Amino acid sequence: MEWDWQFVWQIMPTLLEGFKITIIATLLGSVLAAIVGMVFAVLRRSPNPYVARPVGLVAEFIRGTPLLVQLYFLFYVLPSAGILLSPLVAGVIGLGLHYGTYTAEVYRGGIDNVPRGQWEAAKACNLNPVQTWVHVIMPQAIPPMIPALANYFIAMFKETPLLSAITVLELMNQARSIANTNYRYIEPMTMVGVFFLTVSIVSVFGLRWLERRYGRVER
Amino acid sequence: MKKLIFGGLAAMTAVAAIAIGAQAQDNPKLDQLKEQGFARIAIANEPPFTAVAADGKVSGAGPDVAQAVFERLGVPEVVASISEYGAMIPGLQARRFDVVTAGLFMKKDRCEAVAYSEPILCDAEAFLVKKGNPKGLNTYADIAAHADATIGAPGGGTEERLALDAGVPRDRVVVVPDGQSGLRMLQDGRLDVYSLPVLSISELVRLAKDDSLEMIAPISDAPVYCDGAAFRKGDEALRDAFDVELAKLKETGEFAKIIEPYGFSAAAAMSTSREKLCAAQ
Repeated sequence: MEWDWQFVWQIMPTLLEGFKITIIATLLGSVLAAIVGMVFAVLRRSPNPYVARPVGLVAEFIRGTPLLVQLYFLFYVLPSAGILLSPLVAGVIGLGLHYGTYTAEVYRGGIDNVPRGQWEAAKACNLNPVQTWVHVIMPQAIPPMIPALANYFIAMFKETPLLSAITVLELMNQARSIANTNYRYIEPMTMVGVFFLTVSIVSVFGLRWLERRYGRVER
Repeated sequence: MKKLIFGGLAAMTAVAAIAIGAQAQDNPKLDQLKEQGFARIAIANEPPFTAVAADGKVSGAGPDVAQAVFERLGVPEVVASISEYGAMIPGLQARRFDVVTAGLFMKKDRCEAVAYSEPILCDAEAFLVKKGNPKGLNTYADIAAHADATIGAPGGGTEERLALDAGVPRDRVVVVPDGQSGLRMLQDGRLDVYSLPVLSISELVRLAKDDSLEMIAPISDAPVYCDGAAFRKGDEALRDAFDVELAKLKETGEFAKIIEPYGFSAAAAMSTSREKLCAAQ
């Protein structure tokens, strides 16, 4: 089996098409995970146990089951309940929810790192809970956790091939369909690896920069 | 006396060794299969071509014919592994299976990639659509001409290729992992058409018991295809041995006895040949 450059160039447009979907899924999934994570983290800290407990249970449940199972559930089971999601939307929700439960832990760490005195000062200034979160706690909690969040987003990026299981035409699925019609795996699969590696390497440099910029906790 | 027995044994072993040696030159691949006692076949899970029951038992017309032929060749068992259609030929080339018996229809480019046996299972193509065919899709060309109709087909299967060749854009040809998912996606409105061979769609309709679906068959812009057992290029000796036994099965009528209960026509397979099918388009 030998490497065929001509074949590589021939399949490149199709792979790029898939790569676009992979990137879109990752970006949307990251935004969703960032929001879901924050909601989970804040609700879990609620003084009301009837809010905190169920949210904690749901988060544990999502974190304790495989992403692939959740994707199948979103795509094949929900329609019986009348909820019909397009493949990409189901995929983004799956990624966002799953990784949201992980980023919730990052938020929790970040929030716990805000000194107790800040909470007390907010209370002393007569700020209500919303003001306390928005103006005092989050601005101090978020910067140190940016590198950890970014880490999860890179991990999510590498999980996107799972979306091929629910018929999203992302990079992996395009590569498979190329292999299916040409009976050659070596070029498409290698190129999938190259695409992922390129983005991962660039991301690692970005991550280092983020760490230098935000990683230090100032006391 | 003892000496005599030993002598006799030695002579017998020598004869056997010569016999095996002679045969080994003929067909080393077949000898290897005989020795290990089984042949590895690739199947899909698409009744009635190939079927895997809940308990893992393999049946279907393809594996049954393979079993019968290999038994006659002196290989008592076939071990099946499930594969996507598109992965079968690469898997064959990568020596993951010895032969593909899954309804992998003969087409020109496939004939160039593998060594097919003589035809075994023949079938036309069919569509499964919502009752009344709301989008009026009767051919692959209809789907291509429609503004937003989607078609589901097995990955690397003949139907996927037919749709793409007819000009349906890639993003409207959905790769469906198995029959059950295809049925589900059609019921949920994710697909407008699910395309498989006629017998596969009939089987699916029978199992689904869903009055809201309807089968369209045969599809006029797709020919009747036949599959054959697909061997690796280089295993032509094994393929030829397979063909000899297959021809005998066809002659004795045993072939018809195996495939007709599944709904396949033995006459269709016997009226054509590999040469004809591989030459066509």
